[in-house]
Amino acid sequence: MAYAYLFKYIIIGDTGVGKSCLLLQFTDKRFQPVHDLTIGVEFGARMITIDGKQIKLQIWDTAGQESFRSITRSYYRGAAGALLVYDITRRDTFNHLTTWLEDARQHSNSNMVIMLIGNKSDLESRREVKKEEGEAFAREHGLIFMETSAKTASNVEEAFINTAKEIYEKIQEGVFDINNEANGIKIGPQHPTTNSTLPSSQGGQHAGGGCC
Amino acid sequence: MNFLRGVMGGQTTGPQPTEAETIQKLCDRVASSTLLEDRRDAVRALKSLSKKYRMEVGVQSMDHLINILQTDRTDSEILGYALDTLYNVISNDEEEEQDESEDENAQKQGDDAGTKFTEKFLQDPEHITLLLTLLEEFDFHVRWPCVKLLTALLKNQGIQVQGIVLVSPMGVSRLMDLLADSREVIRNDGLLLLQQLTKGNAAIQKIVAFENAFERLLDIITEEGSSDGGIVVEDCLLLLVNLLKNNSSNQNFFKEGSYIQRMKPWFEVGEDNSGWSAQKVTNLHLMLQLVRLMVSPVNSPGATASSQKCMYQCGLLQQLCTILMATGVPADILTETINTVSEVIRGSQVNQDYFASVNAPSNPPRPAIVVLLMSMVNERQPFVLRCAVLYCFQCFLYKNQKGQGEIVATLLPSTIDANSISAGQLLCGGLFSPDSLSNWCAAVALAHALQDNLTQKEQLLRVQLATSLGKPPVSLLQQCTNILSQGSKVQTRVGLLMLLCTWISNCPIAVTHFLHNQDNVPFLTAQISENLGEDERLVQGLCALLLGICVYYNDNSLENYTKEKLKQLIEKRIGKENFIEKLGFITKHELYSRAALKPQPVFLSPEQMLFDHEFTRLVKELEGLITKAVHKSSEEEKKEEEVKKTLEQHDNIVTQYKELIREQDAQIQELKEKVASMTTQTEQLQATVSQQQSQIQQHKDQYNILKLKLGKENQSQSNNQGDTQVNGLQTEELSQLREQLEELRRQQTLLQTQLSEKDAVIDSLKSATQAAEGPAGGSDNTELLQELEALKNQVQSHLAEIGHLKAERQELQRRAEAASSDTAPPSDNSSDATNAELQSRLAAQTSETEKLKEGRSELEKQLASATSTVAILQTEKSKLQTEVQESKKEQDDLLMLLADQDQKIHSLKQRLKDLGETVEDEDDIDARDQTSDEEDEDED
Repeated sequence: MAYAYLFKYIIIGDTGVGKSCLLLQFTDKRFQPVHDLTIGVEFGARMITIDGKQIKLQIWDTAGQESFRSITRSYYRGAAGALLVYDITRRDTFNHLTTWLEDARQHSNSNMVIMLIGNKSDLESRREVKKEEGEAFAREHGLIFMETSAKTASNVEEAFINTAKEIYEKIQEGVFDINNEANGIKIGPQHPTTNSTLPSSQGGQHAGGGCC
Repeated sequence: MNFLRGVMGGQTTGPQPTEAETIQKLCDRVASSTLLEDRRDAVRALKSLSKKYRMEVGVQSMDHLINILQTDRTDSEILGYALDTLYNVISNDEEEEQDESEDENAQKQGDDAGTKFTEKFLQDPEHITLLLTLLEEFDFHVRWPCVKLLTALLKNQGIQVQGIVLVSPMGVSRLMDLLADSREVIRNDGLLLLQQLTKGNAAIQKIVAFENAFERLLDIITEEGSSDGGIVVEDCLLLLVNLLKNNSSNQNFFKEGSYIQRMKPWFEVGEDNSGWSAQKVTNLHLMLQLVRLMVSPVNSPGATASSQKCMYQCGLLQQLCTILMATGVPADILTETINTVSEVIRGSQVNQDYFASVNAPSNPPRPAIVVLLMSMVNERQPFVLRCAVLYCFQCFLYKNQKGQGEIVATLLPSTIDANSISAGQLLCGGLFSPDSLSNWCAAVALAHALQDNLTQKEQLLRVQLATSLGKPPVSLLQQCTNILSQGSKVQTRVGLLMLLCTWISNCPIAVTHFLHNQDNVPFLTAQISENLGEDERLVQGLCALLLGICVYYNDNSLENYTKEKLKQLIEKRIGKENFIEKLGFITKHELYSRAALKPQPVFLSPEQMLFDHEFTRLVKELEGLITKAVHKSSEEEKKEEEVKKTLEQHDNIVTQYKELIREQDAQIQELKEKVASMTTQTEQLQATVSQQQSQIQQHKDQYNILKLKLGKENQSQSNNQGDTQVNGLQTEELSQLREQLEELRRQQTLLQTQLSEKDAVIDSLKSATQAAEGPAGGSDNTELLQELEALKNQVQSHLAEIGHLKAERQELQRRAEAASSDTAPPSDNSSDATNAELQSRLAAQTSETEKLKEGRSELEKQLASATSTVAILQTEKSKLQTEVQESKKEQDDLLMLLADQDQKIHSLKQRLKDLGETVEDEDDIDARDQTSDEEDEDED
């Protein structure tokens, strides 16, 4: 299907926090209650619409286990967005965020948009990490924050779409070099490439939007 | 060698010992020399020796060379020599080419050496990391040998090197960058490197795909001319195969990245297909393999289905069908294309329907299926091609009840078209042809038309065959058993038995038909009980299976062959144990498990063509059931039957209840939905009601305010009550009102100009009065009075006009109000739609009223200003009047004075007359009196 942009995402975070479930809920709109360990990485894709434009999301769901860490590092550089996930019912997954973030910052391109996600918000009774703590962590490290539930699908769409919006805004601002595919962004087949080479192509974008 | 002699001086006597020494010396120089040039020369010398004295150089210099790679990073020349030397030592490829003359033993030794040196090199994983960093060096003499060295290492110790590359974060992406190198040699060797790297390692395959490998490779393939391209295209395709084979994540990515669409142009072959190069054939083979990887029956059903859908939508399937029907395509490509089409349509209704509609470009056009079947039953066609056609036919019928029906229909008496060759005719022809391969293929093909399809199993029983003249027609079923009993080739009999088993299993009517022929059961028992040779064991097993099916799916409608009687027969004639053993011959056959692996019929030789994949599934399903059925005694059977019956009854009850529950569930669901929709409706209605109430309240308030205002103002001007409000005409009236308002405004401006004119007039009047104030003349006064009168009149008329305007305005207000109040009450219980309409109208009208109010207040303001002007004028007038009074009084005084003087004059005249003076006439005096007043006074 035709798209205006293609964004590459990765999903990272400790094992068992629900990364694969988030992806499955987003791509297939279903929930898999049995924990099936991800081996290496798994791929998923979906089309979304932002600002009237079709945007294709290609998502690599990585294994959370320590033994796969070196493999998953290979995916940081080429991603435009990352969903950093922890489990609100397991404090240790929250405590490990700093390590994950350091790893991501070290191996990714500097413009990668990182969305912090506190998953399993449906398990309020077993909550160990307050929402405020997640918000504070995100504020401190300049991340976007959301609490989601892959089980009830609460905020799942928003998490993926808001990340895309942030990337889209960065493109509009000219922060991303969209002609370098290594940044995890690709322009769709029909998109006028001449416009996109200009860093501040606000006007051009609007004109493009008008004719569509 | 000459060079070496030059360097080493005269040590050339007897090469062997001196070479070893030379290498030792060179290594020492590499290790200890402080001069870069010295080290460089030494490494160059080692390089030149490395091919001929591989072992020696390898053993002695490897550590030193690695050291050079670590320390002399700045000098690309020495790096290049060192890498070349290491490559020569480690790689086995060159050896093979160079030492063709040497015997195999030596080659094996060389391979061992390569492995040994590779192990040595890999002792420290950092060495691979080192090579990966050296890849960043742009210099051709460094990058190229580096690529080659890595490839050689991967070839010798793939798993280990893969592991090291995988854990170095930028490793794979650096290797991927090779594909973007502008120097073709490096790009092409980079392809070979990636091929080795991705072999059998899913994690690396995924990273390579993540690094945009699909995009790059497809671009290169296009640049190089697709299937017409050279070995580079082949290398790209091999790498793509590596990335996609058994890697569902990458397959998903390939599909989601819309790369399937990019495969379509690969298969756009021209009209002239003669003289394809060997390379083109290889390329197309790989391209077809890639298509098949995406739709392989071993993939998850969902993944295959969505790829199949995509291939139809983008026209890839259509393109493949064009190749299928094109002329001059090499046989092996045609075969592979048939296999590919098979898997693209397998189990996908849309694709199967499309395939059924494809016609061969012959005259008259024949369906592709018919043309293909003609090849299948043609002895002269290559064996693999016939297998491919059978596979295609099987895939066309897989989960395709519609297709199965269409094929069987071509055999039924009512639908046979005598003029054209049909699929059914070809299958029957194949079934009874002298060629056993055709028999087998046709039998299996026909079995697939019946697979899991009770209707077609029953339909096929109707088929009658005309044998020879003068004899009655024979049913197809009977003809099959006849041939079976005639003792033809094993392949033929196996094929027919598989067809019969498929046909009568799960179809009691067909079982009855089969048992109806008195010869069949004795034939089967004879076959099973006889002690035959090795070749016949499979046939015996299949006969046992067929008899077992007759027992298991028996509905006891034939008295001679009820379940019970058949079982007794088995026990007496064959023996239970013997029967079970014979039955086991099928699954114990060496070819059985091969066929069970995958749906495609692949056989090493035509003789091995014995089992069909679908049939192996049937055997698996039936073997246990039949064994049980035969072992059971009649009493047990009866008991079981009873239990079964009660169970069935229970089941029936349960299903009834289930259905009831389901129904009730549905009803509840429906009711719930209704309730939900009703609650929302009520909520909506309540909301609208409260909204409307508040609106009514608002309108009432407005109405009251307006009424109050109206009461304060003139009530007299209510003579325009003739106008009545009609609800439906509101919009029209509104526009009318608007027009009127417009007119009023126009009048207003007119009045204003008039007023300003008046102002001017008043101004002039003022100045005139001021001028007239001094010597007030009677005539001036009257003029002024007249003008004043006129002004008064004008003011009066303005007042009247303003009054009129006021009246009009009031009327408008009333109308607007009436309009708004009229609309409110009926909306209480009307529907939502009218509500909305009315609301919008109300809003429009309120705004109109608002506007009108504004206009009114403006008018009022203007009126006030006009009244104030009038007041000013009145004061002016009264001032003028008093002035006039004053001047009148003065005049009176003067008149009195005049009269006095007249009297005086008169008395004086009298006196003069008395004195005898002549006096002038009175009139003269009168006429002169005004001018001579002063004189008179002077005279006084």
